[in-house]
Amino acid sequence: MGKGKKGWALLLAVVMLTTTLLSACGSPDKKEDKGSGSKSGTVEVSKEGFPIVPEQINLTLMAPDVGVQNWNDMAVLKKMEELTNIKFTYNNAPKDSFDTKKNLVFSSGEYPDVFLAAGLTAAEQMNYGEQGILIPLEGLIDEYAPNMKKILEENPSIRKSITAPDGHIYALPVVDFNQPWYRNPMWYNGKFLKKLGIDKLPETTEELYTYLKRVKEEDPNGNGKKDEIPLSSVNLRDIRTWLLGAFGVYEEEVYVDDNQKVHYTPMEDGYKEYLSYLSRLWNEDLLDHESFSQTSEQKKAKAQNNQVALFSDWHAYMTMGGEPGMEDPMFVPVKSDFVDKPVIARNRGITIGAFAISNTNKYPEASIRWVDYLYSYDGALLFSKGPEGMLWKYTDEATKKKEYLPVENIETVRSTLTPNFGIAIPSVTTDELLKGLKTDFDLWVDKESKEKLLDKGSRIPFPILFLTSEEQAEVNVLSSDLNTYVRQMEAKFVTGAEPISNWDKYVATVKKMGGDRMQEIYQAAYDRWNSN
Amino acid sequence: MVTAMKESRSDKLFLVFIYLFLAAALVVVLYPLIYILSASISTPKFVSSGEMWLLPKGLTLDGYKLVMQNPKIWIGYGNTIFYTVLGTSINLLVTLPAAYALSRSDFIGRQFIMAMFLVTMFFSGGLVPSYLLVKELGMINSIWALILPVSASVWNIIVARTFFQSTIPKELQEAAHMDGCTNMRLFFQIVLPLSAPIIAVMALFYGVSHWNSYFSSLIYLNDEMKYPLQMVLRQILVLQEMTAETTGASISGDIAAAMNNKAEIAALVKYAVIIVSTLPIIVVYPFLQRYFVQGVMIGSVKG
Amino acid sequence: MKESVEIAGPEGVDLQQPRMGRSPGKMRRLASGKSTWSKMLQNWELYLFVAPAVLYFLIFHYAPMYGIQIAFKNFIPAKGILNSEWVGFQHFERFFNSYYFGDLLWNTLSLSLYELAIGFPLPIILALAFNEVKNGFFKKSVQTVTYAPHFISVVVMAGMIITFLSPSSGMLVRLIELFGIDAPKFLDDPSWFKTVYVISGVWQNAGWGTIIYLAALSGVDPQLHEAAIVDGASRFKRMLHINLPTIVPTISILLILNMGNVLGVGYEKVLLLQNSLNMESSDVISTFVYRSGLVNAQFSFSTAVGLFNSVVNAILLVTVNQIAKRTSKTSLW
Repeated sequence: MGKGKKGWALLLAVVMLTTTLLSACGSPDKKEDKGSGSKSGTVEVSKEGFPIVPEQINLTLMAPDVGVQNWNDMAVLKKMEELTNIKFTYNNAPKDSFDTKKNLVFSSGEYPDVFLAAGLTAAEQMNYGEQGILIPLEGLIDEYAPNMKKILEENPSIRKSITAPDGHIYALPVVDFNQPWYRNPMWYNGKFLKKLGIDKLPETTEELYTYLKRVKEEDPNGNGKKDEIPLSSVNLRDIRTWLLGAFGVYEEEVYVDDNQKVHYTPMEDGYKEYLSYLSRLWNEDLLDHESFSQTSEQKKAKAQNNQVALFSDWHAYMTMGGEPGMEDPMFVPVKSDFVDKPVIARNRGITIGAFAISNTNKYPEASIRWVDYLYSYDGALLFSKGPEGMLWKYTDEATKKKEYLPVENIETVRSTLTPNFGIAIPSVTTDELLKGLKTDFDLWVDKESKEKLLDKGSRIPFPILFLTSEEQAEVNVLSSDLNTYVRQMEAKFVTGAEPISNWDKYVATVKKMGGDRMQEIYQAAYDRWNSN
Repeated sequence: MVTAMKESRSDKLFLVFIYLFLAAALVVVLYPLIYILSASISTPKFVSSGEMWLLPKGLTLDGYKLVMQNPKIWIGYGNTIFYTVLGTSINLLVTLPAAYALSRSDFIGRQFIMAMFLVTMFFSGGLVPSYLLVKELGMINSIWALILPVSASVWNIIVARTFFQSTIPKELQEAAHMDGCTNMRLFFQIVLPLSAPIIAVMALFYGVSHWNSYFSSLIYLNDEMKYPLQMVLRQILVLQEMTAETTGASISGDIAAAMNNKAEIAALVKYAVIIVSTLPIIVVYPFLQRYFVQGVMIGSVKG
Repeated sequence: MKESVEIAGPEGVDLQQPRMGRSPGKMRRLASGKSTWSKMLQNWELYLFVAPAVLYFLIFHYAPMYGIQIAFKNFIPAKGILNSEWVGFQHFERFFNSYYFGDLLWNTLSLSLYELAIGFPLPIILALAFNEVKNGFFKKSVQTVTYAPHFISVVVMAGMIITFLSPSSGMLVRLIELFGIDAPKFLDDPSWFKTVYVISGVWQNAGWGTIIYLAALSGVDPQLHEAAIVDGASRFKRMLHINLPTIVPTISILLILNMGNVLGVGYEKVLLLQNSLNMESSDVISTFVYRSGLVNAQFSFSTAVGLFNSVVNAILLVTVNQIAKRTSKTSLW
């Protein structure tokens, strides 16, 4: 036994020795300070037109890869290379592990020149910006990125949302003015509506309840069995936002009301009403009792079996099966007695962290010009639909009207042409972009969105903003316990495992876990954002 | 097996019981396998609705077509076989001699070495320093990054050591030493030939771990041509989990369309992928089983 | 005489389980009387044998170990491990102070021990049963079939479990209802979660687990069986008294190793079977860490929790190993 102890001691000594030795050489940080001193080298970067540089330059780029097509073979990127004279080497990582790889790359001290669609979070932008790894872009934007500059000038709120607390912009966003949905909408099964003779969709929670009840009892699928599932969900996540709106709550975690006051949803009275309402649906078997355990595939199978009356998805046909069609109408946000009108959350319109330049990039001016093209109509079109003549052509170039060429499986072909497939590539989506390319179905969906959501005053529940690193750290700590507790209690309240009479006890616990503090932090952050 | 002697009645009863037990195990375990096989050639809708529960429903070979049409599959297969063979060989070269040495009670310092190995089972520096190390060693985007960092596993060394301890008769080693036989010869000419079962087990354990591994390739490889099969298959399924995750939180129309497109493919090929990726390694097993035959080796030496 | 010298030697406790049928008094005639140095010299090749493994562990495991310090730091990738600021035990405190710390620890421990209690003996029984069966098609097929589920990926496995147990369409649920029993809510009811997790795990891995015992069983000395048959021992008795003891060292070692991984319940399968309703019994340490990481990559926090797990696991392993050493003479060191 004595020997054994000695062994451990010796071992420990070795460990410590190797540790010190290797930590000395393991440090990646203080390498030679490449690039940052000798910005842009000798290359002349033209401020407008193409090519961007007279002689070809090489840059490295890191992006998530969805594994459909090698980026070197993508028509869109080849075309960009021709246009700009900038050749990229792609150090991509598979999409499902991209975050891991991204962190390793930031730790390794060797950065790609450009991060594309890297989903850099606010915290990452701040950290890496502060460290000087990501360079500030606002100066470059002013000089070399007229398209981006115009967008920021026209939309001061975007500038506010992408500017870090230190006043710099470290990453550019995806801008999409065309996409009004905060979350996937809910859709009614049109066949059921017809069968039950509904000509006006429910507009209050009571009307909705009555309709769901009728679905349950009147056998709208006509198979003689009461196998209808009035409302089906996966984990409530997909329907939560829509139903919260009926009780005056914009969003599931944090939102700001019309008086600039920030609310932490899980402690709100409206949230309590929402729980009671769902609980009622659950008790009367109107809310699918498998909502907490089923997969989205199982939900889809039920819908395709013509059992489901109301559900959420990007488009109804994706759940119902079959081809895109107009027979399943979009859910009209309902209101409860609790409020005068429903509140409706609207998409924030930007996705942050889509493009950044590292300090090892020798040609930041050229890089920003490259990406700025993506914020123009032509560039966005190129990345969204590929070069003209492959999937689409102009029918009238002056009015920007286009049409699709007779290509089969457009989505599949598109995925081989452009990297803008399943990842957040910088771009700006406007009405012009898709002019003429919209199918009747697309136009119908637009109309539904406009009438049912936009015209009813949907708005962004809470802007995208930066927390300071201290705030961020505190939110990280608070939210991991809070989210767990809140979701668990939501399920219990809804299923009746916990009676709603315990609400006060629940709120007390949420407060003890830091619910108030969450509200404070976000209020402070919002006030800063607002005053900028 | 052991002898052809007449079995007593209780022995027969015991055997009947054993056979029944194994037959029951067979049925219980066979079911999910048949299920996966059937699911791989059924229409996804019937699988998730529970309508397909034993035999295929809505017969379709699209799943297999999609997997097989991917040109990267065959490159992946080739890479995986290469990595598995090379990796496993290195694993055996490192593991077996070490395990044997550690099994010898006259090997001074083995407690220390054992302890040194065991510590690594619990404490590791984590991903970041390992990545930096591999990078410093210049192995990024090299196949060695998939092989050298997993040259041995403590668990397997311990298992092999236990085998050597409990099955190699000590007399053998003593006799060999008396004859002036070196440890080297003892190990290669006497111990190894007697250890076919553990070599087979080690080859299987290591081989399977190489076959299934994707994480190293995920973080160390950039070149798609070097991707092993599991990486290629993951790429086919890549957006499947995402769709479930995000259910449409603030995304653009393009992304939603792409995800839906991918999710449909994933539902279709999910089961086919399992068959394609595991069939080879399941087929290998029956061939290894003959090394587990009881007592043949030792008996012959002793006899 | 030499026996006593051996005991006093550096290898105080002999690890070797006395082999069946050899008289324990039989001499070991090694050069045990010599000094340590000459013994080391005599076995110089053995050092060569372990050298590659030692080198491997030094380079690929010990060298990166300086990374453990990030558990005590606020690690920011861009600053590097060494230059990130020290925060002491802050991350540990956060973990211990979590509202759920007690639940997490309990769920992890109980899930792990439950799994051990069911999942550990079954492969042994299965292996012993295989061993009684004549080599042939039946044996080969059962062995291969039971081995195969090991290769089903976690995602598909979880998907299958959810499908089989779905209250509306699940095959198993319908089977139970066939007997006129109301099936419990396997997926929603917290009291069922652990059973579902463990049984499905056994289902998937029992066959794979037999491999190692089958290899160990090949070490059974046939002469012992012959002698026992002459003595009129029944098949069952021979299994119990000849086959089982042969694999006892392997069993003990594996048990010790398993005890050293009690907090190591992985997150993947749990996460896939987890939902808001069964959360109170399904949330384990690894899923908790996973969720915290979703908010923002929190290297330091997850390293701290990992370190806590390691320390607890290591303590358990050492304890169990000591117990094993006392009681069975089989131990890791």
